[in-house]
Amino acid sequence: MIAAASQSSKSVKDQVGDFIIGHVSNTTPGHHIWNKADYPILQSIYNYSGIDLSISKHVFMLWLVALIVGIAVIIPVRAFLNRGDQVPKGWMNALEAIVQFIRDSIVKPNVGDKWVMTWSPIILTFFFFILFANGIGMVPIFDLLGATNRFLLEPNLGEAYAHDNFINHLLHGGATATGNFNVTGALATITFFSIMAAGIMAHGFVQHWKNLVPHGLPWPVYIILIPIEIMGLFVKPFALTMRLAANMTGGHIALLALLSLMAIFGDMFHSTVAGVGVSFISVPMAAAISALEIIVVLVQAYVFTLLTAVFIGMAIHVHH
Amino acid sequence: MTATSFIPIGMGLIVIGAGLGIGKFAAAAAESIARQPEAADKITGAVNLPLFLLEGVAILAEVFTFLMLIL
Repeated sequence: MIAAASQSSKSVKDQVGDFIIGHVSNTTPGHHIWNKADYPILQSIYNYSGIDLSISKHVFMLWLVALIVGIAVIIPVRAFLNRGDQVPKGWMNALEAIVQFIRDSIVKPNVGDKWVMTWSPIILTFFFFILFANGIGMVPIFDLLGATNRFLLEPNLGEAYAHDNFINHLLHGGATATGNFNVTGALATITFFSIMAAGIMAHGFVQHWKNLVPHGLPWPVYIILIPIEIMGLFVKPFALTMRLAANMTGGHIALLALLSLMAIFGDMFHSTVAGVGVSFISVPMAAAISALEIIVVLVQAYVFTLLTAVFIGMAIHVHH
Repeated sequence: MTATSFIPIGMGLIVIGAGLGIGKFAAAAAESIARQPEAADKITGAVNLPLFLLEGVAILAEVFTFLMLIL
């Protein structure tokens, strides 16, 4: 990083900022994993409809998460059910413990005994998907692959080479898909419609919307209350979106900021020794933040499922 | 001094507010669990939800200040 900084005109601080933002945000056009310019189908879709279907790193990570959830959860569960055994073994045992925990201590207290089997599947889906997506963000496998390719296998090809090899495109991967506001926004949209579906299934269409505000109040109160309740309808999924994405992004920014202190100090004092010296502080700190991030990964998956269950429960058990 | 140079102060204020709030939650939960250890599960359950809502508000504020900073 220091060597690269001396070549370009930008200061190290600006480069560090760009590097961090580039790491946590989605890839920019031309730097996707599969670019539309390389694939005639994607290009023609873009030409006709203006929709860019290039596979950016977050989309790629979403696919990867879907694949891993399929292998780790769906296939074992299907195999277990087909076998007809009563006693789960091994991995299935762990899965069953998680499923039971979610059903009995998240969904049941909030949604109630009557609807627990209706709403457990979607909440479990949320939990597993978010857990795996968050967790994969903490695994630097693609950074390692890309770095190996670039610095060990073919180190002499320079900048011109930077973007014409699949493994090198993967250098942009290894991101947290749930750190993208669009992904969490989509998840929260599912929650939004689940809340309405829960209310309508429990009370009927008209009664559900009447339940939004308590009845039997003097009429001037409604002038204030109805807009507030309608706003609350949208604030709930919005807060879910922001909470998950900001938590996942924030941890990575903190990690990278600590690590980039090495480059900043090295540049500030114009010596490699300063950079190496700071590394003795910043690397253990980064390790500690990584440990904290592992907790955050678990807690955020739990929070999203818990709040979804609570909101669905609020639509079913209207308390006035 | 431009207006944007005060935004990091706002971020600090958010952290102070959220820290105080979460600290109060943790203190109250620890106290009540110490008084009534058998109710620990119920107390944790009751503390969890408002804790996450508080965290959500703090995160929202941080995101908005950050957006103000970069936009």
